[in-house]
Amino acid sequence: MIPTFEKAHRLTLTDTEKELLNYFENNLPSSAFISLKELGAKLYTSNATVVRFCQKLGLRGYNEFKYQVRHELEQLKGPAFSSNSLISQSIARFQDNLETVNTATLEAVARMLADERPIYIYGSDLSSLAARYLHTILTMLDHPAILVEWHRLLNGLTYELGHDALLFIITAHGDAQRYLPAFQRAQEHDTCIVLLTCQQDSPLIPYSTYAICTNDQDEEYRHVTINGRLGIFTIIQILVELIASIHQPMQVTADPMP
Amino acid sequence: MIILHLDDAVIKSLSGNELNILKFICGHAQDVLDMSIHELARHVSYSTATILRLCKKLGYSGFAEFKYALRQELNKPRTAPKSVKDSALSTQMILDNLSSNTEGTAKLIQEEQLYQTFHYFDSNCPIYLWAPGGPTSILTDYFEKLLFSIGRQNVYKVEASKMGEHILRTIHTESILVLISVTGDFAPTVKLAKLARMNGIPIISITPCTNNRIAELATVNFRFFTTQHENMGAEFTSRLPIFFIIHLIICTYLEYRQNLPPLAPFSTPWAPPQEKRNG
Repeated sequence: MIPTFEKAHRLTLTDTEKELLNYFENNLPSSAFISLKELGAKLYTSNATVVRFCQKLGLRGYNEFKYQVRHELEQLKGPAFSSNSLISQSIARFQDNLETVNTATLEAVARMLADERPIYIYGSDLSSLAARYLHTILTMLDHPAILVEWHRLLNGLTYELGHDALLFIITAHGDAQRYLPAFQRAQEHDTCIVLLTCQQDSPLIPYSTYAICTNDQDEEYRHVTINGRLGIFTIIQILVELIASIHQPMQVTADPMP
Repeated sequence: MIILHLDDAVIKSLSGNELNILKFICGHAQDVLDMSIHELARHVSYSTATILRLCKKLGYSGFAEFKYALRQELNKPRTAPKSVKDSALSTQMILDNLSSNTEGTAKLIQEEQLYQTFHYFDSNCPIYLWAPGGPTSILTDYFEKLLFSIGRQNVYKVEASKMGEHILRTIHTESILVLISVTGDFAPTVKLAKLARMNGIPIISITPCTNNRIAELATVNFRFFTTQHENMGAEFTSRLPIFFIIHLIICTYLEYRQNLPPLAPFSTPWAPPQEKRNG
């Protein structure tokens, strides 16, 4: 138990103060981060009541109470949860991804996206967001592309596409097997395929003209797989900036933004 | 770009003049190192007192200490360009720029902001995500889908400003509004922020690191660094730092929930009040 709360239990408290204490105890750890105003709104108490409660505990005010509870919480829990370490981990993963990208491949893909050939961008489920992002920004850069979000449509398309088309396919960890026929057909038709995936050993890689792998990982929460697409978005952003630099050599209006 | 320790409270406390000076320093860090306070004052056309005030607000005792911190920051090893080829050089510049913007953004994220956000997520009240259209809507979608996948219910995307205004005006239960803006001043988003503020609805916002209207109105505001790009009116500013913030909020929330005692799953399913659904 948090020592500050233990101390509070030993004191004579009014009903409102008991309610306050109850709220803090039952809503840890987020209650240690709530502001005085929010607390007032939540429990219908005045700021003065909260401050009086803190003073009863020998503290100067609510902020001191908050810091003390946080501190004690940290000591109790140890290093179980630390947002700072997660932030550093995420940054490290992000940097790893940047370091492993093959810049020559990205430059080649950017040049292809920037030339006049018809571009088809495919992504389904969460990858459809990445596909939409690339599609929208390409349009902004005067390189209109066609967005394909249905698997069957992709299958159908590969019968029609010729050697001048570019098929940009984003599939993170998806069932690669179901795309295999489409990839084989596209390869037979000499259609250029760019594959953006997180699966290093994807069976689709041999059929792709260019394959770009990122280091996005699957996370699982209550049996639901959560797979962020940060690595994929990073690659797309690099491609976008490369295309923009082909389009208009590095036009930067301000840094940071106004 | 240099990254100084700039948290939300510090940025909010800066005046327009002080922000202009900071912007100049960020853009000319190397030159500023060799300047005296008087020289800098001449360059930026502000008084030395304003510069001093800025240094103090940034947490330094004076200009000398500020320069010292700046020098430390600049001396940190940076990844050297791998190739001398022109194209490789510009590619490396792009990578460095993305990397420093994202790293800078990560440094602005504070535990307190995360906990405040988690506190709202835990409450199981409806979350309204504003999708203003264009590439920013993709960010909203990403946030929405990730919230769903970690099991958060009652997440509603609002895609029309009139609908958003209607919801904010008629809302009866405790709710949260999430606003993402690349400029921080997009008029329809500001309008929604004002309405929410007026009706006591907490706002979680993601806005750029400069002073902006939405950040001022928000309850919890995450800030990011980015470089603005535009092609004849079509804006294609990098959203990567925002994707990073969203990704991080979700990852840390997941971790936070896994560390909670098992008695605290998402509370009872929330039933939307009928009158609001009709909107």
